[in-house]
Amino acid sequence: MIGRIALRCSAFLVLLAGWEVANRLGLIRPFLLPPLAAVAARLAQDVASGAFFLNAAATLYRTLAGFALACAIGIPLGILISRRPLVGWFVEPIVSVGFPMPAIAFLPIFMLWFGVFDLSKIVMTGFSAVFTVIAAADAGTRGVERQLTWSAQSLGASRAELFRDVMLPAAMPQILTGLQVALPLALIVEVASEMLMGGNGLGGMMVNAENYADSVGVYAGIVEMALVGGVAVALMARLRRHLLRWHPEAAA
Amino acid sequence: MTDKSVPTGIVITGLSHDYTPRAGTRVRALEDVSLTVATGSFHALLGPSGCGKSTLLYCIGGFLPVQIGSIRTDRGLVTAPGPDRGVVFQNFALFPWKTVLQNILYGIGKRGIRGAEARDRAQRFIDLVHLTGFEASFPGQLSGGMQQRAALARTLAAEPDILLMDEPFGALDAQTRRIMQEELLGIWRQTGKTVVFVTHDVAEAVYLADEISVMSARPGRIRRTLSAGFNRAADPAVFKRPDFAEQVELIWQMVRAEVDDARRPVSA
Repeated sequence: MIGRIALRCSAFLVLLAGWEVANRLGLIRPFLLPPLAAVAARLAQDVASGAFFLNAAATLYRTLAGFALACAIGIPLGILISRRPLVGWFVEPIVSVGFPMPAIAFLPIFMLWFGVFDLSKIVMTGFSAVFTVIAAADAGTRGVERQLTWSAQSLGASRAELFRDVMLPAAMPQILTGLQVALPLALIVEVASEMLMGGNGLGGMMVNAENYADSVGVYAGIVEMALVGGVAVALMARLRRHLLRWHPEAAA
Repeated sequence: MTDKSVPTGIVITGLSHDYTPRAGTRVRALEDVSLTVATGSFHALLGPSGCGKSTLLYCIGGFLPVQIGSIRTDRGLVTAPGPDRGVVFQNFALFPWKTVLQNILYGIGKRGIRGAEARDRAQRFIDLVHLTGFEASFPGQLSGGMQQRAALARTLAAEPDILLMDEPFGALDAQTRRIMQEELLGIWRQTGKTVVFVTHDVAEAVYLADEISVMSARPGRIRRTLSAGFNRAADPAVFKRPDFAEQVELIWQMVRAEVDDARRPVSA
């Protein structure tokens, strides 16, 4: 475990070493690529002042709120697509068009509808994630063996109970795969919205630094985003392992 | 056992069933099937693959709609799945996300029994199928034979009147199958349930069943119903008896004729 983490970190160490060497040799102007030490110092300063945590919390709050919205709407819809013809008729074509759309194109509309504060960003983030969630829940539900639902019915489950007792858990591996794709997507769109709209958060802070030609701040922002994204993805993988401990993949 | 369910018989009258493999095409799977399964008896449906024996079982289970004809148990007409008819599938169909204990508790909970009483009851059925010690295992961690024991316990714990079994031992190796057959007979004698058992294994049908219905293929019809009755002997060595071998051979010839028939091209 520790060995594996060390191996993964070593790739970044090589990258950072290249950064430092390029600086020291004067290959790139410091404004285009500031010294590693300056970026590290800014990072330490952001952590010490608490600015990093405030911005990360603001970004994560809106990302997770949007993501939760996408799950709350997307999972039931995805399960119902193949089970309720009316839902399938309505949702399926919309998903197939919406899925490859660049979601961020809707930002001006959401700003008009929901204002320039948290709500429009949350809706934007949820909107960007919801299609992936619907598609995953749909795919997972279609693969459920009919014997599984028949067993539940003959044990006394009603048709409504089948969704909670059989469809949802049976589709869970594929739903989680969808969520693992949707979460970074939500984070990307959240940061992009902050960069376009300004305000607090990691993206907002970075665009602020950019406006003041503060290239150290821009690089520090990138590193902070990478940290937050990495932690979010790792926690999601952990959640998957916990929820799927019954699944053969857990043994691997 | 303190099983409060009452075994009931099954009366099937003029049952036909069509299915739609593609939109616009209809294939007749069952044709005018009439059959009576006596209360508490063990009835085998035997036939070549594709003869509709599983379709017939699924109709009794209420999983497929009754289109033409009727199926009646002592509780009335069959229109939907219900806990009075328990089912065991070839692929076990356990809930893989639940442990053995949770799987068995599922049907018990649906009957409104909870807490310590539910656990006691689940444990009784776990003990009955010899899975003691595996309560906390997930199905994926068990062998095929053990998964089928768990599935059988789950079905029995819901206390159905009728047990529907769809080639339940078809996915097991020969040794495990023999042991499971013996244990099923033991459980059947204890509980006195009405059993409908689908198989394509002639010896299995003769060993287990009171009565055997041989089915023909495409469309599925009941060709003949014969009585066997070796199961009442409670003698695992029945396989070696000459009259057992004779009965197997006789029925095999009938099934064989159906297989040959099914191979011939379908005429309009």
